[in-house]
Amino acid sequence: MNKYILTKRQVVNELSTFYSFLLGFLIALMIGSIILLIQDKNPFDTFSLMFKLSIGSVNSLSSSLNKATPLILAGLGIAIINTVKLWNIGAEGQIFMGAIAVNLIYINFQLTNSTSFIFVLLVSAFIGGAFCILIPAITKVLFGVNEIITTLLTNYIVIGLTIYLVNGPWKDPGSLNFPAAAYVGKEVYLPTIFGKLSYGFLICILFTVFAHYLKNSSVFGYEMRIAGGSEMTAIYAGINAKQKAFFAMLIGGGFAGLAGGVELLSQTHRVSTGISQGFGYTAIIVAAITGMRPIGIFLVGSLFGALSIGGSVIQTIGVSTYIADIIQASTLFGALVIQFFFNYKLKRADDG
Amino acid sequence: MVDVQFLGLLNATLQAATLLFIASLGELITEKSGILNLGVEGMISIGAVTGFMTAVNTNNIFLAIVVGILSSSIFASLHAIVTVILKQDQTVSGLILTILGLAVSSLLGKNYVGRKLETKIDSLFTIENPSNVLEVFLSQNIIFYLAIIFTITISYILKNTMFGTRFQAVGEDSKAADSMGLNVSKTQFIATCIGGAFAGLSGVYLTLSYVPYWTDNMTAGRGWIALALVIFGGWKPYRTALGALLFGFLEALVPRLQTYGFELNPYIVKITPYIITILVLVMLTIYKGGKTGAPKNIGIPFFRENR
Repeated sequence: MNKYILTKRQVVNELSTFYSFLLGFLIALMIGSIILLIQDKNPFDTFSLMFKLSIGSVNSLSSSLNKATPLILAGLGIAIINTVKLWNIGAEGQIFMGAIAVNLIYINFQLTNSTSFIFVLLVSAFIGGAFCILIPAITKVLFGVNEIITTLLTNYIVIGLTIYLVNGPWKDPGSLNFPAAAYVGKEVYLPTIFGKLSYGFLICILFTVFAHYLKNSSVFGYEMRIAGGSEMTAIYAGINAKQKAFFAMLIGGGFAGLAGGVELLSQTHRVSTGISQGFGYTAIIVAAITGMRPIGIFLVGSLFGALSIGGSVIQTIGVSTYIADIIQASTLFGALVIQFFFNYKLKRADDG
Repeated sequence: MVDVQFLGLLNATLQAATLLFIASLGELITEKSGILNLGVEGMISIGAVTGFMTAVNTNNIFLAIVVGILSSSIFASLHAIVTVILKQDQTVSGLILTILGLAVSSLLGKNYVGRKLETKIDSLFTIENPSNVLEVFLSQNIIFYLAIIFTITISYILKNTMFGTRFQAVGEDSKAADSMGLNVSKTQFIATCIGGAFAGLSGVYLTLSYVPYWTDNMTAGRGWIALALVIFGGWKPYRTALGALLFGFLEALVPRLQTYGFELNPYIVKITPYIITILVLVMLTIYKGGKTGAPKNIGIPFFRENR
């Protein structure tokens, strides 16, 4: 009988995350094809239609990148928080909170200079997101309360708050069937670079670079990595691990809040439950699949943005939009399976 | 005469508690073996939709329950394959299980939204209008009684049998358990599937009894509250049951507060269970000072060094 034993590889290929993602994506496309075949749809036609309608023209490409913007920003926030080995499952709520903060400032203050007003609104979105993660952050560093559960539950609280606001104090009498707050004025819309592509995407590029620098090259990033490592190392290095964890959480929450602010000022232009369509959850997939690397998050986020646009347009030929969600989640599952073969190898037991 | 409002409250408490409790009991078993499965929400959703679809198409409640349990269990085996066999990160895999589970169940159930059920899960005794506490208990359906039986059996097995001790050894110290000759991977794999089966049963209870219809995302965070309940119960079945009763009571009480003369905004009322869950979790963690009673090996993949 041949018995196989598992051994850890000493050297793991540097590009293993990238290869795992590619193969995972192929596996996911196969799973997607099977689901389409079951529904009597031709997978090849469907995927080529998705491809054409998501990146086939300047307009569709810019829609895809606009869609990618909140995914990338929220994903970067998750990656920053993961530097201290903590999880942020609350990006969805932070996105809503960012949008709520924008509207709160917008209706209470007016600045004549629209550029500086937009800047103020985006800063308040960031603060809104950071505020949203404040309770999980405080309870985590002070008492060690499980941050996965607290950040997740804040999603339900903030979305509940949004529903309350758009049905109550902020209800726009003009929106009859779909409860929403009033539109913000055109003067605070984020302008477009070309086509439909919003300046939000430029913000997204800037923050990708910033997150990359923060995580990999800054002193704070170095301290965060130590704080996320062993407790003793942090003490020897004289690093206040709890303080780093706290600020990492606030910054990460702020990134997701900014995503909500950008989404409001560039896409929806008003607060409603449509601010986010699960961006915060997809962002977790995006961040995890890239091994929490900012540049990777930017690239995978862009691809997933295109997938979501492709997924929403194929509704017209009777294919469920959930196919995009399933492909995204399966990609990560597939990548996890492939990653195993990069980290371990099987050896015949009788060899040694 | 007992107050009718009180009886209604009691009835709703027991129903909400059953739903939460079954899912958290399954998660407790999985976590005792050292595997953290954050996919409870997704697994409940899969059980809920497959059970509902079977019930609508066949009108056979028993078959629907079996299908719901099996499909959730098979779905949970995905997590087992990725974390137990392939030793990947349990947090990531569990989260994906939730996201995938919600997407798959929305896809499966899209033609079933708004469909009506011909039958529901039977009550033990058919009592139209319960007039005392005993009758409220007797009018609960069989899954409520199953939950009680599960609690007693599982608590007994974990505490008093050799099998239970060995099972917990896997979650406490998998290396030691392995050297004792226990099959760690097999135990963890099966425990994860059992966790899925319980989540499936909870899902079936949701769509075939608690709210007998199907809509997208109808689990509404209950899977996450179930996860919090395991921590609340300190990984002990009876305390988890107590926690479930408390949360069931809150879920039942909050929408009724108006009838007791409190003026509350209905939208704010909806978010109170989540706020209370966080509050309770925080207070409990402070009270226990970090000693939660969690299995020591939870979240750490078992890897037998090359010998």
